[in-house]
Amino acid sequence: MASITLRNACVDFPIYNARGRSLKANVLRRVGGRIDSNNREIITVEALRDINLDLRPGDRLALVGHNGAGKSTLLRVLAGAYEPSRGVAHIDGKVSSLLDMTMGMDPELTGRENITLRGIFLGMTFRQATEITPAIEEFTELGGFMDLPMRTYSSGMTLRLAFAVSTAVQPDILLLDEMISVGDMSFAEKARIRLEQVMENSRILVLASHDPMILKRYCNKAVHLREGQIVAAGSIDDILEQHGALEQG
Amino acid sequence: MERMEHAASVSAAQAAVEPSSERTAGERAWLDVKQGFENWRVWWLLGIGDIRQRYRRSKLGQFWITLSIVIFIGAIGVVYSALFKQPVETYIPYLATTYIVWTLLSGIITDSAGAFVQAEGFLRQQALPKSTFILRVLVRNFLSFAHNIVVLPFVFLLFGVAPSWTWFAALGGLIVVALVGFLAALICAILCTRFRDLPQIIQNVIQVAFFISPITWRVELLDEPLRPWVVLNPFAALLQIVSEPLLGRMPDPITYTSAGLSVLVLAFVAWPLFSRFRQRIVYWL
Repeated sequence: MASITLRNACVDFPIYNARGRSLKANVLRRVGGRIDSNNREIITVEALRDINLDLRPGDRLALVGHNGAGKSTLLRVLAGAYEPSRGVAHIDGKVSSLLDMTMGMDPELTGRENITLRGIFLGMTFRQATEITPAIEEFTELGGFMDLPMRTYSSGMTLRLAFAVSTAVQPDILLLDEMISVGDMSFAEKARIRLEQVMENSRILVLASHDPMILKRYCNKAVHLREGQIVAAGSIDDILEQHGALEQG
Repeated sequence: MERMEHAASVSAAQAAVEPSSERTAGERAWLDVKQGFENWRVWWLLGIGDIRQRYRRSKLGQFWITLSIVIFIGAIGVVYSALFKQPVETYIPYLATTYIVWTLLSGIITDSAGAFVQAEGFLRQQALPKSTFILRVLVRNFLSFAHNIVVLPFVFLLFGVAPSWTWFAALGGLIVVALVGFLAALICAILCTRFRDLPQIIQNVIQVAFFISPITWRVELLDEPLRPWVVLNPFAALLQIVSEPLLGRMPDPITYTSAGLSVLVLAFVAWPLFSRFRQRIVYWL
């Protein structure tokens, strides 16, 4: 069963200056000598504070908040990349985050080889990656480029390929940072349909976006983040209303 | 206050359900290593990719390194055999073997310094086991070693070193090297992610280790009472459990004991360090 449980999850980033990063400076500090009081403490940035979240199948959660409110950090916690520095995060189910779709791809390799590479990162076996290749070839419409190194691709073509492979696996939990739009008009429409299908079939969806229309369309719940804390949580309509009022007022 | 109530409303139904299986740091560290090994496809591809990237679009590819090793062995072999008054025909096979094994050992340690820093893009996006990137360093260096070792048959043929059953012992030695490499690389990678001036220090240590290990010189050149001390140098012991069998001699039990001890010591350091700081690694990137 897919589920997400966060209990008082906090994410604190230590910000080291050059001295804090240095072993020599750290050793010398212990040994003695002048201590610069500014360098003494390690500054930490609280990216997320006391986040409580319970998501079960059927939940489509919208993350609302300004830039720097902690939306992306929260998505990374949900992806399992950041383990909370305090509190508990319990994520059950196969997570797919379309946060960085090109992750792991190598420009020197051909499109075909990159499908394998990206597929392996998504947890496929070599055989499974080979099996999905024809379908991806067809979907991306890359034709002869499939056998050329990816460095010869335009950025749009690279994204097409990355998108096609990344959406070839159906996750239990799907994480999205803004709605993805790929390629030119005709392809964007095709990509939207494909993405919507993956979203539809995911048991849990978490979508961060600044666009209320998009959030309303895909989500049923929402949390409002501000300065790393959940300031409001509830149904999508309530939260968007509050958020809208805040923006204006 | 308002915030608390709202948060509760989302989670109302499941508020009472606490995650049942809370894992300790040690268990999660163990799981990381286990999943790391299960993820073999990822580190295998990453390791191959590293080798390919180093010499992309050049005809000789990885064999550039092999070529540079041949040049090193040729040049140093001639000069040092005169210096140490050793016959060239025994000195060069000796140097070739020790130097190629040394390249493997030192490569793992130096590469490990950047193992996590280099993987920043992956680690910040996806919940990949941290051990994946240590294993990638091992793959990269063992592949490199596989290229370099091609030199040995030629050297052995040229100078008439006979094949020997002890070559199988060299395989055993390589397994120990892989084990030590994994543990040492784990320690280095964690510390180097936190302390960014450490890679330079490690580089220096490796450089010194090159000169104090029996790579360019033979243990037999030392005075009798000094010889037993050589195996106290863990680099020397690890080197000899691979290079000696390749040259047709079995290392003595003390050498194996010393190598085994470094496995133990490293494991005792690596384990608490990894359990304690595994989850902090991403925050240090």
